[in-house]
Amino acid sequence: MRYLGLTMTELHELYVSGKATPLDVVNEVIEALTKDKNNILEKTMYDEARSMAQSLTKVEKDNLLWGIPFLVKDNIAMKGIETTGSSNILNGFIPLCNAEVIDKLLAAKAIPVAKTTLDEFGMGGRGETGHKGITYNPYGKERTRIVGGSSSGSASGVASGYVPFAVGSDTGDSIRKPASFAGLVGFKPTWGEISRFGLFAFMPTLDHVGFFTRSVSEARVLFEKTRGYDKKDATSVMNVPFKTEKDATLKGKKVAVLEPIFALMKNKLLIKEFHNLVDKLRQAGAVVDFVPFDKDLLAAIFPTYFILSCAEANVSNACLTGIGFGNKEEGASYEEIVANTRGKGFSSRIKYRLMLGQYALKKENRNEYYDRAQKARRLIVEAVDKVLENYDVIMLPAAPNHAPTVDKQSEPHSEIENNFMAIANFGGNPSLTLPYFLDEGLPLGVNLTGKPFDDFNVLNIALKIEEITGLYNLHAGLKS
Amino acid sequence: MKYEVIIGLEIHIETKTNTKMFSSASSLFDAPANSNVSVVDMAFPGTLPTVNKKAVQNAIMLGHALNMEIDDELHFDRKNYFYSDLPKGYQITQQRRPIGSNGYLDIYVNDTKKRIRIERIHMEEDTAKQIHLGEVTLIDYNRAGNPLVELVTEPDLRSADEAMAFVEAVREIVTFLEISDGKMEEGSLRCDVNISLRPVGVSKFGNKVEIKNMNSISNIGKAIETEIKRQVNYLIKGLKLKVRHGGMTMPLKIQLQCVKKMKALIIDIFLKEIFYQFL
Repeated sequence: MRYLGLTMTELHELYVSGKATPLDVVNEVIEALTKDKNNILEKTMYDEARSMAQSLTKVEKDNLLWGIPFLVKDNIAMKGIETTGSSNILNGFIPLCNAEVIDKLLAAKAIPVAKTTLDEFGMGGRGETGHKGITYNPYGKERTRIVGGSSSGSASGVASGYVPFAVGSDTGDSIRKPASFAGLVGFKPTWGEISRFGLFAFMPTLDHVGFFTRSVSEARVLFEKTRGYDKKDATSVMNVPFKTEKDATLKGKKVAVLEPIFALMKNKLLIKEFHNLVDKLRQAGAVVDFVPFDKDLLAAIFPTYFILSCAEANVSNACLTGIGFGNKEEGASYEEIVANTRGKGFSSRIKYRLMLGQYALKKENRNEYYDRAQKARRLIVEAVDKVLENYDVIMLPAAPNHAPTVDKQSEPHSEIENNFMAIANFGGNPSLTLPYFLDEGLPLGVNLTGKPFDDFNVLNIALKIEEITGLYNLHAGLKS
Repeated sequence: MKYEVIIGLEIHIETKTNTKMFSSASSLFDAPANSNVSVVDMAFPGTLPTVNKKAVQNAIMLGHALNMEIDDELHFDRKNYFYSDLPKGYQITQQRRPIGSNGYLDIYVNDTKKRIRIERIHMEEDTAKQIHLGEVTLIDYNRAGNPLVELVTEPDLRSADEAMAFVEAVREIVTFLEISDGKMEEGSLRCDVNISLRPVGVSKFGNKVEIKNMNSISNIGKAIETEIKRQVNYLIKGLKLKVRHGGMTMPLKIQLQCVKKMKALIIDIFLKEIFYQFL
């Protein structure tokens, strides 16, 4: 266990000083992954990882990603590697090309080691609905707590200390919620900054690619290496000025806490620690205000998200018919083939969502549901923009509590304090979760959401908060 | 009783581009089967559509030639239905905001000028080609995703001659602009005819019949004449004409009864899924 639990920066120093090679590290990572008990793995690529590590002999001193092993959420395509979205309908599906984010990481010589579990096609928030069952949190008693979803395997793997970072995707809070439960930095940059080519579409206008890391500066490194226009993704952004501040300080930064959401928090320790953080931010020269927000709009976040995401998921997943590719079932006609393939391939939970989506899009309902949800989305985005006119970031606890236990009944989906982070998907805002305290050894995260294309400002503020909390490179499960 | 013939046309124009509407695969579909196909055309998960600039330019040129208002933004919608020739499970089209609207085209029949209003032109993508061999259906994805412009007229045409003159005029325009080769026999210009009759003096439209995929201008004329006779017969007998969608075979012999509209199938398929799941 010489290399596990190290950050990218620490591994890089070992490489540069010649004290370790990528192969040494990859071998140790593979050994740890084979012993993993938290059900994080989909397809592994140990042989490919070893041979890539072996081929890396000339260390690149100014490339922090050189020889760094990482994990990839299984809804992100990799050429020649089975990619299922943790759904039976894509068992055996082998993509013909890499996602753009993977190509960029490979070009930087980072080494993918395995695909990780998720809630089936990203539809879920607890990491319990993938075709391999529940993914567990390495924190707490073994195999008792969820790690959250939908990027569950990626979160659990980084929190276990196996690898310094993992690729995830975020449609509602699928990176930022598990980051809170797993004591990680989870960053979803502005919509359009990182190409989504190769990410299985769930709801295209809310889908983001992002990362789990164990420090803010490493999230920043990954962002810098993977951002940029991609001609294969028409929604990726061209020519956005590279805004970066050196010697960032909290002095004069303005932080808004949405008072009505914070008021919903019941965990006394959380409230105390949050106020504690606010005090420290103020001491460091930041302005922190508790600001009002329209409660009706807050109540609309979840229904808006649910209607839009189900409706678009219904269309995004319409290609899964078994006719062109995928896990085809037999049938006497094409209708039967499609019905059998989808009937057997999707779990009932997915079917429920797709049915709802179909209902919301039906000609006679579209006005009432889909169109109104789009309008509500616009109103929510406008209200958030209005707050951000006067503030650098909105800061809130990323979750009302630490990671729940597996047996605990899932909270009603509609609770505002559990779902508000979707606002950053509605507006495509950069949004980051980082740990700010531990409750009996279980981490909790604070979330920062900034203005679109103000990613570096968000990262800089997060970096300062990390300095305040001192919670850097947290991981569990490597105590031996 | 005298009847007035009401005709509206929907014309699909395959426009000339090097690549497909939303992918970088070649749009030549005359190549060996399934040789011009990309992961985007096959709708592999994770792929994204990127719009073909040339196809948009073609549509805008046609819009100007037809005196249309050109939308200042480009909007696409996904029309969702399951069919084996549609790999995505949806067709990318412009349901809500077509690129061109409210245009017209003047046609000449017996040296008389007549203005035909055009409701819209919109861009969309073609489906795959299916070859049915008995029990087996083969799918050639070369055509899947090829750029189309669909032109929809107002129901302003009143006779077979006018309809033929309109299609001919459109064909002249698209070939002159070099945005399509306009060859009906090869399917690069395809025409659906909506036709209904109403007693002269009545303003309410009668039930319409759609005749699909006509492959020559003279066949359009023949199909319309035949359909008029058939509908007149119906109406004289006092029978109510059902709204229906017909297909047509080339020698104009049989008009097939109602090819199933696949849109209706979405719901059925979903219900079946649920049914299988809980059986």
